[in-house]
Amino acid sequence: MRSTLITLGSVLLTASVIGNAYYQKKQFYPSVVYITKSNSSMAVIYLQAFVLVLLMGKLMRKVFFGQLRAAEMEHLIERSWYAVTETCLAFTVFRDDLSPKFVALFTLLLFLKCFHWLAEDRVDYMERSPNISLLFHVRVFSLLTLLGSLDILFVNLAYHTTLTKGASVQLVFGFEYAILLTIVINIFLKYALHFFDLQRDNPWENKAVYLLYTELLMGFMKVVLYLTFITIMMKIHTFPLFAIRPMYLSMRAFKKALNDVIMSRRAIRNMNTLYPNATPEELASVDNVCIICREEMTGNGSAKKLPCNHIFHISCLRSWFQRQQTCPTCRMDVLRAPAATPTPAATPQPQPQPQQPQNQQMPQAQVLFAAQFNPMMANFLNFPSQNATTSQTASFSQNQPSASTSPSNFSPPLFTFPPFMPFIGPPPPMPTPPSNLNQLSLEELRRMEGSEREAVEARIRCLQNIKTLLDAAVMQLQQYNTVVNSGNLISASSRNNTAEQQEQQRRSAPQTDPTSSSSLSDTTINTNASSSPSDIIRQRRLQRFSQTQVPVIDAKSNTVVESASQNDLNSDSRTNESKSEGENSKKTN
Amino acid sequence: MSSALRRLMAEYKQLTLNPPEGLIAGPVDEENFFEWEALITGPEETCFEGGVFPARLTFPPDYPLSPPKMQFTCEMFHPNVYPDGRVCISILHAPGDDPMGYESSAERWSPVQSVEKVLLSVISMLAEPNEESGANVDAAKMWREDRKQFYAIADRLVRKSLNLPLN
Repeated sequence: MRSTLITLGSVLLTASVIGNAYYQKKQFYPSVVYITKSNSSMAVIYLQAFVLVLLMGKLMRKVFFGQLRAAEMEHLIERSWYAVTETCLAFTVFRDDLSPKFVALFTLLLFLKCFHWLAEDRVDYMERSPNISLLFHVRVFSLLTLLGSLDILFVNLAYHTTLTKGASVQLVFGFEYAILLTIVINIFLKYALHFFDLQRDNPWENKAVYLLYTELLMGFMKVVLYLTFITIMMKIHTFPLFAIRPMYLSMRAFKKALNDVIMSRRAIRNMNTLYPNATPEELASVDNVCIICREEMTGNGSAKKLPCNHIFHISCLRSWFQRQQTCPTCRMDVLRAPAATPTPAATPQPQPQPQQPQNQQMPQAQVLFAAQFNPMMANFLNFPSQNATTSQTASFSQNQPSASTSPSNFSPPLFTFPPFMPFIGPPPPMPTPPSNLNQLSLEELRRMEGSEREAVEARIRCLQNIKTLLDAAVMQLQQYNTVVNSGNLISASSRNNTAEQQEQQRRSAPQTDPTSSSSLSDTTINTNASSSPSDIIRQRRLQRFSQTQVPVIDAKSNTVVESASQNDLNSDSRTNESKSEGENSKKTN
Repeated sequence: MSSALRRLMAEYKQLTLNPPEGLIAGPVDEENFFEWEALITGPEETCFEGGVFPARLTFPPDYPLSPPKMQFTCEMFHPNVYPDGRVCISILHAPGDDPMGYESSAERWSPVQSVEKVLLSVISMLAEPNEESGANVDAAKMWREDRKQFYAIADRLVRKSLNLPLN
């Protein structure tokens, strides 16, 4: 009603102005001159032009959109305010060539911008509306064609003006229309995606992915355009203040799109590779409704089980992972958690040693298992659960009543062994050596030997692996030794049972204060001499391999123990642990 | 048909078949499933007891990946409701944005939530305002310092919502 009145008023005003001019001058040309010379007449004419533009806009809106929805209107008004403010800022930059033509061009730009926004909103609406009429498609398609061709036309115009007349305001228009062109392309791509989605009966799983990539691509184009625009403007005119806000927004959108793409790709890759498909049994055991889409899940590979045991549709998870990389139910971070979770789909790695720590959070059961398997190993591995280890050691000794009184059983915890070198994984497969070495040519030999750094490194690695394996074997043998020899020691220990217990207490003293007792200095020297891990290993290996059979500990051969500390190559059969025991028995003797 | 629409239809069906106590919700018109109207009753034994408060729920096109928006269409005076009626509770905020700077991500929106859960949370919010969130600073201040007057205002709102004469 109000707008009709305003329109009518402006038309009347214009008519009276023109009528007055014609009444005064009687001829066409003098009247035009009269109107253009009179400021008040021109004001009325401009007002009329503005009203005409608004009317034109209403007409176009009717043609292309019909009735605007409340949300669209709100959106439009909100954005227009920003656009008007920025246009005013742009006027300040180009205040020198402020002319009616210039203002008209900006108005036209604003006018077209509004239609771009409306088109964007309208295409977004496609996703929500249950039924889209043919009229909708016709309208959107023709509008997009019109806007696209207008944008191209203006970009072209700006380009040629700049080329022929040098840089001017046309530069700004050129860039503005180029940005609008990217918007049109974006809308068109979205429209195409929605259109194909509508043609399908069931939801299109990959649509979200395409939408994400469209956003990324368009965001990138916008950022590039804005950056070029700002650099050019800085060189020619001044800093384009009016472009800051849209540039910031487009940069933020681009960053978000990029982040989304990267994170969701990672989460979706995890989902595809690490998480198992939910089996029909698993679906039956829980409520088989996907909590994201509230529809039933079937067992034929359409549902995935997350490490937290929550089950969802693959497609639902995929679109959720584009927002958040967490479990929708328990919010477990799927990007942080998955490696540690043992899943059937994850390749079970053949472990050469069952007592190897698989990861930081080694299950208690595994600790116990390792302790049972080899209590000494358990000590070396430095398990956090000291109680479990000691209790296991205790139970171990209870299993073998003969050993329970043996001091050797208690020696491993006291012996300060260097931190056990953890296995990183199974050793890499070793190359199989050719069966007949004589057949190798010199060339082949040289190639096999390899003089490069990698070859040497690989060889060292290989040797290290062998060393670790050997260490493990040695430790096991030691353990067997202790068990076997505990019988031998019984004779001695049963005699000096109480004395030994005293000794045990004293024995720990030299480790804290080596000078406290001269009689124990031998032990100290012994441990000091073999404090370096490689020394111990070498010593033990030599001891181990210099003998062909399982050695027998002679608990009373004190001299040999002492010489062992002086001479690594001594063929003393005992381990370091038993050496300290040897010292012990020596003293008791 | 988009997955958002299917899910909204499923929720509408669920709400109609098993209506939870104290709330009614459904699309404003069946042409547009993304605009809902809801009526919630004030929780018992609170100052809002007996009131019936209309609200409007607006769903994004990517629902349930993004949360809906909720706005009371009646007058409302509550620490967690903006003066214009918008409801500010953590269940309606996507993880990441934190307008009030106190919400943990555990209580944010996730696709597991639903219209029913949102409305039930709003009802419990009416019973127990979150004092940390200052959507309506005046209401929060009054709730803390002058509970009596807050109750008086709430009583007026309840009467207004029922079209009862104000005493």
